[in-house]
Amino acid sequence: MPVKTISYGELIPGYEFPPATYELSASLVSKYLKAVDSAGDGFVPPLAITACAIAAMTGSFSLPSGTIVIHASQELEFFKLVPIGATIECHIGVAQKITRGKMSILILEFEVLDKGKEKVQSGRATIALPT
Amino acid sequence: MLTEIQEGRALNSVVKHITQEKINLYAEASGDFNPIHLDESFAATTPLGGTIAHGMLNLAYVSEMMTSAFGRSWLSEGKLRAKFKEPARPGDTLTVNGKINCVEQKDDVSYANCIFECLNQKGETIVTGETIVKL
Repeated sequence: MPVKTISYGELIPGYEFPPATYELSASLVSKYLKAVDSAGDGFVPPLAITACAIAAMTGSFSLPSGTIVIHASQELEFFKLVPIGATIECHIGVAQKITRGKMSILILEFEVLDKGKEKVQSGRATIALPT
Repeated sequence: MLTEIQEGRALNSVVKHITQEKINLYAEASGDFNPIHLDESFAATTPLGGTIAHGMLNLAYVSEMMTSAFGRSWLSEGKLRAKFKEPARPGDTLTVNGKINCVEQKDDVSYANCIFECLNQKGETIVTGETIVKL
């Protein structure tokens, strides 16, 4: 998990979080497959990679105590198969921050690279925080 | 894997039962320990009224349906857009349905555009969206 370096209030569009690195070990993939009740197919499930990126995103900033985070929408694009044991690096930035009435909406964009700096996955997550 | 790719073709549905144990396992596997997923007493005090499954857990079931239909094409070059409409809760049984909405050609390459929905046992829509996969 990345270290929380910034509070939600300090996030502004264009802010980039420090990259987060994950090793997609056999045990991590096995744990993921058990959690999603799936057999797997010899590669890292792309949604396991997304899960790392989402965890990196939501773990990168601190929220006021008691705040709930609601995942509103998700866009994803996969670019290559990832072998078990690979190391990935998640790059995350703030695309938009919007307040609508009592709802704060944060749109985060991410790119996941492999060790050779090739793009593995990209995505955009919209999260809502009722205030 | 699908042997016949044509517009309107239904994808094999995926049915999963959500339990708090599975949500806890997903939190461990993903590193997402947001208390709205895990802390029943905290979640009961929120407008959601109880713990909910991670949105990405629901999407994992969509990806399972797509992998079953399109194999490595989905894993290596898939695209997905999803909207989370309602939370999935412990005790829910989710059914992911999908179909090929259209087949398009771009630069001599064919793509299947699919639509999907994830419903709970009451027929409420939990997630909707679309996927694109290279054929």
